[in-house]
Amino acid sequence: MTGQTHALLAGLTVVAVVVIVRLVRRQVLKAKYTVLWLTVGLVLAVTASVPTLLDRAADRLGIWYQPTLFMLLAIGFLMLLAMHFSYELSRMEKRIRALAEEVALLRGPEDEDRRAPS
Amino acid sequence: MRTAAIIPAFNEADALPGVLAGLARQNPDHDIVVVDDGSTDSTAIVARAAGATCLRLPFNLGIGGALRLGFRYAVEQGYDRAYQFDADGQHDASQVEALLAGLDDADMVIGSRFMGVRDYRVGRSRGMAMGLLRRLVRLICGQAFTDTSSGFRAFQRPVLELFAIEYPVEYMESVEALVLAVRRGFTVREVPVVMHDRAGGRASNRSLRLAYHFVRLLIVLVAGGTSRGRRTAS
Repeated sequence: MTGQTHALLAGLTVVAVVVIVRLVRRQVLKAKYTVLWLTVGLVLAVTASVPTLLDRAADRLGIWYQPTLFMLLAIGFLMLLAMHFSYELSRMEKRIRALAEEVALLRGPEDEDRRAPS
Repeated sequence: MRTAAIIPAFNEADALPGVLAGLARQNPDHDIVVVDDGSTDSTAIVARAAGATCLRLPFNLGIGGALRLGFRYAVEQGYDRAYQFDADGQHDASQVEALLAGLDDADMVIGSRFMGVRDYRVGRSRGMAMGLLRRLVRLICGQAFTDTSSGFRAFQRPVLELFAIEYPVEYMESVEALVLAVRRGFTVREVPVVMHDRAGGRASNRSLRLAYHFVRLLIVLVAGGTSRGRRTAS
């Protein structure tokens, strides 16, 4: 990896880790996402601080242009994450639907319409 | 025998009074349940003024979600059978009797426009899409249906119990529901009915949206997603 790519990677890593740590400290993320993103931050930090690690791994795998390995891993990770979110979204939509039905049943057949008739 | 008419309604305050009056006149012993699917007009007020039971959803769930609530209500209130009726005046109250008569030897009855005596006009691409669906459904069900997208349907209690828990919620849900019922071993048959052209309101036929849902439906049907890999009850 060239000096520039390394510098870029290091810079992005610092930004990412700072954002992650801030989010975690403010406790806006659910615990499982905290663990997930802290892991991501750690991996980024390690690859940035030991630049030869990625290069050697790429050579071992027969990848000519080493940053490609990084891209490959990143895209794979993001795909998995997107799939996971799709799953979570589907599940949440199902639950919201069930809740809406429950609300309608709890309101019962007699409840007043609080909206003004148009 | 207690019978419920389930009417999903989204902003149908204009057409609803006529529809409810027609139903009450033809079948005075049926209970009418209007599911207000998050309407922003006076649908609920109009429904209650006409003496119908009205359940109000907090926001719009779409036809499938509204129907599932209606089925659930019918099951909880102990109805023996129920039928779905359109709020926009497309269905004819005088046809309900024929529809319910079909339940004598079936668990679910579909009122078909195309078995009927009168012509019912649909556009060419819409007709082609419906034709393809028909063929696919016949392949899956081992039984031919002429009007898979009809919303004029009657159900015995066991089917209501199934649909109260899992009813497809996406657009064009009627085809999925039909396949689901057949896959669960219920007897489904069609009876010929006459329908009106839509009184008010817009037929949902914006072509891109329709095309998307058509493809989605094909995938769902082919993948068998409606019957496998789901819990039946919780």
